Amino acid sequence: MSEGTMAVVKSEMKSYIWVQTADGSIQQVEEEVAMFCPVICQEVLQAGMGSSKNYAISLPQRVNPATLGLILDYCRFHQVFGHSNKERKTFDEKFVRLDTKKLCELTSAADSLQLRPLVDLTSRALARMIEGKTPEEIRETFNLPDDLTEEEKLEPLRNITDDPHIRLLNRLYARKRKELRERERLKNVEVEEEHIDKRSVDDLLLFINSGNGDSKGVRATRSKKKNRGRKDLPRESSSKNENGNHKKNDMPDNVTTPIITSILQDSASVTFSPKLEFDDGDIDDELDPAMKEELDREVEDFARRLNSVWPERMQEILSLGQERRFVPISITGTGSLKSYTVSIFLLPFAVTNDVSGSEE
Amino acid sequence: MDNVLVRDSISDLPESIIETILTKLPIRDAVRTSILSTKWRYKWANLTHLVFDGKCGTLCNDKGPVEDNLVKFITRLLFLHDGPIHNFSLSSAYLQSSPDIDQWLLFLSRKDIKELVLELGEGDLALTIRAPNLKYLCLEGEFKDICLENTPLLVSISVAMYMTDDIAERFEQSSSCNFTKFLGGVPFLERLIGHIYFTKYLSIGNQLGKPPITYGHLQIVELYQVSFEDMKEILVVLRLIVNSPSLEELQISGSSNTSAATEASDLDFGGKECPTDCTFGLLKTVKMTDMSGVPHEMEFIKFLLGNSPVLKIMSVTPSVYGTDARINMLIELLRFRRASPDAEITFIQD
Repeated sequence: MSEGTMAVVKSEMKSYIWVQTADGSIQQVEEEVAMFCPVICQEVLQAGMGSSKNYAISLPQRVNPATLGLILDYCRFHQVFGHSNKERKTFDEKFVRLDTKKLCELTSAADSLQLRPLVDLTSRALARMIEGKTPEEIRETFNLPDDLTEEEKLEPLRNITDDPHIRLLNRLYARKRKELRERERLKNVEVEEEHIDKRSVDDLLLFINSGNGDSKGVRATRSKKKNRGRKDLPRESSSKNENGNHKKNDMPDNVTTPIITSILQDSASVTFSPKLEFDDGDIDDELDPAMKEELDREVEDFARRLNSVWPERMQEILSLGQERRFVPISITGTGSLKSYTVSIFLLPFAVTNDVSGSEE
Repeated sequence: MDNVLVRDSISDLPESIIETILTKLPIRDAVRTSILSTKWRYKWANLTHLVFDGKCGTLCNDKGPVEDNLVKFITRLLFLHDGPIHNFSLSSAYLQSSPDIDQWLLFLSRKDIKELVLELGEGDLALTIRAPNLKYLCLEGEFKDICLENTPLLVSISVAMYMTDDIAERFEQSSSCNFTKFLGGVPFLERLIGHIYFTKYLSIGNQLGKPPITYGHLQIVELYQVSFEDMKEILVVLRLIVNSPSLEELQISGSSNTSAATEASDLDFGGKECPTDCTFGLLKTVKMTDMSGVPHEMEFIKFLLGNSPVLKIMSVTPSVYGTDARINMLIELLRFRRASPDAEITFIQD
């Protein structure tokens, strides 16, 4: 055999070329099949490579032997002209029934070999695994780390709902949460984390409401901070809220409960930026413990809700438009708290006036 | 099933692949990926191909809120988007013309938009497009006015223009030349497709004589629902094709009202609009469909046949109405002088 000709090894008179994968192993592949890949084709025709073991074509790094096998299976089927479109489709559907790891590797390898039809096929399969699923399901399918904070998880929604008040509340809530976490860390261990509140609902409300009379810890952080009377706060804070949103919506009146007022009062100014880098707000020393527990509990509850009813939420948000409703959430341990609006400030995107019905 | 030790293999795929995957998702699902993990937070924001179609809207039948929601969604999304946008496609029967569309177009023009598709519902939109990199444009809807102000690179235009009667009346009083406003600044145009009232729209305010530019690259022209009894519309078609030396393929679909057409004046094709030595040097294929056999149509076909030296196919499809006119059509077609010895006239029956 001369060096110029392709090595003919099998008796069926097929041509073979030599390729080398990233792990160093060299193998022979049918020429006609491999030429279906633009990169290999180019190497053979332009660089004259692949004719012998010493001149094996180095495949891109992303192609390992197993993936190469799959790619060759694909090429072997599709390079035959005789197959009907239906047959090809059937083959394709069976072909992509792989686990996600293999599918990703296959996509990557096909891309590095510039095999566009296979890239499209595998991408479509991956897209099908994402479409219509909850974030949980997607994370599980692809082994994604759940490393976003709750505030960050709200981000796309936050920016897609149009209510500046809700956005403000989100931000304030998130800041408070952060502050509470820090304080817990700073304080000693003797502060009990799990404090089950056995008081009745009414007592709790009264306590919280009266507690607000003391929490006047207002600090100026940025120059935009101003003192405000409690009742006016939600409306006016929308105008001081600098954001790109040009819509101004009025908040329904019963939103101005003392709790919200105090939270709005306590927080520093809010600068809206799409990237949402949170400034370190001031810590309010006078936050009372009951409110702290409330926040803790409701944060967990909220996180659970967010994760479990994601699609419905999405639908809700996207269909709410001008309408805002408070959706009461139940607080563990105090079953009848459902009907109170105490928890409204924790719900960023669904806020209702109707407090009697719970749709959760 | 993946075991716990398998690491996340999708997040580190090259950006081009992620874009391919996200583009195959409905836009809402693509945006939702931002809450999957830190790596995924802004992957969607780099999409260069944005498609807003019926699947975007909520399952609500009430037009107002749906439109509002869609407008808000698109605005917010554009606001958060990062990087160039090459393709933008918006199809929504719910979306009436609104000032937001103008803002979006302004935004898109700064984002290097190359392909724009707008398919809207009813409305009264005056559209001005200034997009220096735009190459493909597809519009459908009810437009009061379309002005392509800064689109020098446009290669392909497809317009389906609906028009209510009162808009048409309003047009009659307009003084500006729509032909120039629309086709005045597209020297690299290769393909022009016009549906429904497009030709009528162009005919308004049309001036005779050479247009501001010659369409040296225009190869394919398809005009549907051309009303042959309206002299002005025919002049528009003539003005276009006479100034397109590279024209290869022409398809015209008629929509003539037979009774009105027979009363129309004689068309002088040798007049000012088309010099007698006008030649379609590259025209190879002509398809005339929905022909009713009215005099203007036949004159037009005769004109084409007599001035296309390399014509290969002239196919004529009669309209489904007026079957008795067909014999007359055939008789006339036989008589016409052909400049191209290879020309084949085919008469397509159902």
